[in-house]
Amino acid sequence: MSPHVSVLPRRSLANRPPRRRPLISLTPLIDVVFILLIFFMLASSFLDWRSIALNAPARATAGSSVEGAFLVELRPDGLRLAGESLSLDQLTARIGERLAQRPEQRVLVKPTAGVALQEAVSVLDRLIATGVTDLSLTRDPAR
Amino acid sequence: MRFQPPRPKNDEERILPLINVVFLLLIFFMLAGRLAASDPFRIEPPRSTSEGLVEPQETLVLLGADGRLALDGEMLDEAALKAAVAARMASEAPPRVRLKADGHAEATRVVAVMELLRTAGVERLKLLTVPDIR
Repeated sequence: MSPHVSVLPRRSLANRPPRRRPLISLTPLIDVVFILLIFFMLASSFLDWRSIALNAPARATAGSSVEGAFLVELRPDGLRLAGESLSLDQLTARIGERLAQRPEQRVLVKPTAGVALQEAVSVLDRLIATGVTDLSLTRDPAR
Repeated sequence: MRFQPPRPKNDEERILPLINVVFLLLIFFMLAGRLAASDPFRIEPPRSTSEGLVEPQETLVLLGADGRLALDGEMLDEAALKAAVAARMASEAPPRVRLKADGHAEATRVVAVMELLRTAGVERLKLLTVPDIR
């Protein structure tokens, strides 16, 4: 450092007003803020919930509700529409054709034992994307 | 010319940047997160591409992967659930019902719970999902 610069700190120290201790110490404030931060980190949830609107299924499936409805059977080994094995693409194509004629076509999805809800939801997603509005889950009345 | 950051004078000035960051984090979590009552058991919701919205005021029925049932965070068996939902549906403003079921639960079990809700008077319900991130 050059000699005339080294004088500066001393002068500024001399000009500065005497330092006061703050009335409230910062440490308790930091404690409280940390506790609040940890509370909000643990208690808040960031899950983005969505929903699928469904008709609640009636227990007595034998009746007018099944009349004229497409019954998609969901088995662990694949999909069946009226006893015929189909892939998901074939199924949506066929239901899409039907929806072009009858937009309010009712579709029932019947999962069988051994099918997880995730698989059923994937099928429901495809059906909703095809344009089905009257959608319901159902199951065998015998079980 | 030399630009040297001023030395912190004492301990308190040294932790000021820390306090700034902590305050920022605090405000972020306060505004971005949503405070919600935690579920009585762990539920992994099914992933879906559906876009339906959810109103948090609706009645919430929970179904765990092992078949446990709960209504608004209170664990119940099937008969008690049916009675409680039926009592709510008979009130002046019948609530809409959300069903939060685990993605690994048996689909037939989910349908059985839906049938139970139907016999309690629920006509339409919403199945809760989360968006597929993959």
